[in-house]
Amino acid sequence: MNEEEKLELLKDLLLKDEHEYATSLEAKIKVLEETINKKEELSEKVNPIIKDELENFTKEIPSTLGPTITEALKTEIKNSQDAVVEALFPIIGKMIKKYIQQEMRILSEKINKQVSNTFSFKSIKRKFKAKATGVSEADLVLQEEFKPTLEQFLVIEQGSGIVKANHSFSQNIDEDSIAGMLTAIKSFAEDAFEKQQQELQHIEYETFHIHLQNFSKYYIAVIISGSYNVIFKDDLENKLLDFAQNKINKTDLNNTNSLTKQIEAYFKHENL
Amino acid sequence: MKISKKIVVLGHFGVGKSSLVRQFVENTFTEDYKVTIGVHILKKVVQLDNNDVNLILWDLEGQDDINNIRTSYLLGTHAFIYVYDMTRPSTFENLKQEVDFIKENYSSIPFNIVGNKSDLTTKGLMNEHNKLHKELSLTFTSAKTGENVETLFRSIAKSIT
Repeated sequence: MNEEEKLELLKDLLLKDEHEYATSLEAKIKVLEETINKKEELSEKVNPIIKDELENFTKEIPSTLGPTITEALKTEIKNSQDAVVEALFPIIGKMIKKYIQQEMRILSEKINKQVSNTFSFKSIKRKFKAKATGVSEADLVLQEEFKPTLEQFLVIEQGSGIVKANHSFSQNIDEDSIAGMLTAIKSFAEDAFEKQQQELQHIEYETFHIHLQNFSKYYIAVIISGSYNVIFKDDLENKLLDFAQNKINKTDLNNTNSLTKQIEAYFKHENL
Repeated sequence: MKISKKIVVLGHFGVGKSSLVRQFVENTFTEDYKVTIGVHILKKVVQLDNNDVNLILWDLEGQDDINNIRTSYLLGTHAFIYVYDMTRPSTFENLKQEVDFIKENYSSIPFNIVGNKSDLTTKGLMNEHNKLHKELSLTFTSAKTGENVETLFRSIAKSIT
């Protein structure tokens, strides 16, 4: 055994444990290297940790970041209202379109139901009416569905716009403000066109129609919902003329309560 | 019995007509200036001697020349309030002529002249205004602080009912 071999033997004897430890470390590092370099293996180890962290983060967002985000959104919306409106407009438009489609579907179903109910007395009556007048049955069904309804009746002093009498058939509105605005709109329109003897007769607001009928000291405004057609308008005009001629006198105009009672009594019996 | 009275508020642009009306009706004031287009109508019910009086306030858009006012808005008025801005001489340098125009055309209707924005002036300036327009009865108000606003409308309501 030469010197070199002896030294090797001595090294083996003295450093055996360290050598084994170094070999095991080397193996571990190799496994780690493989785990890091191979995406699938790394994912397998890291994904559950990230998943848990993300779950915790999602749970904590409402309580930690919620108020800050809400506040930031509020400020942003307040500062850029035009942009918000611009962004929402197409969505709202679609919603309205959907709503109208839905309403049309309901109406169509109602008409189908009415038409299919062929043997009811109402239907037979309608069929006769259609034959006699030449108006189609479908149009008559539509007319029945959108029958005009009187909502509010106002007697308003010309010029001042002060309400002389007011009767609500269904809903309550602020009659004084409405009468004032109607008078202002009427004055403006009649002034702007600079035509003598011509008067504003009708205003449309959303689903409401406002019928205006002029008399010398006052005018009558009737708020109507539903279909406001020529036949109804003609009928209403006649009724208002009759009411003005036979029921309103000078004394009534100065007595709001008495005039309101006259309206209630008159339109209770009149079929419009 | 319900009593309704129409009060028309007029004057130059930006003198505080709408602010004055809003202060009276809603007890609010804002520094934001929004121009009135056409007319704005507000209502307030005041109680006078156990009677409810509906004050229908027609706040007209500002006009630098009273001759340009849409006269159909003035029909059936029970009282006028002419507002000027105490801090802007251009709004009161023709005060006499403008008041005369209204008085000539609507002689029987009570007329009130109001110097607004009193919070931005001094007592001395108010005295000066009173001296300058001796023949007119002026009221000084502040739509911002509410000074004299309620008193003005209530005294008008009293004079026309």
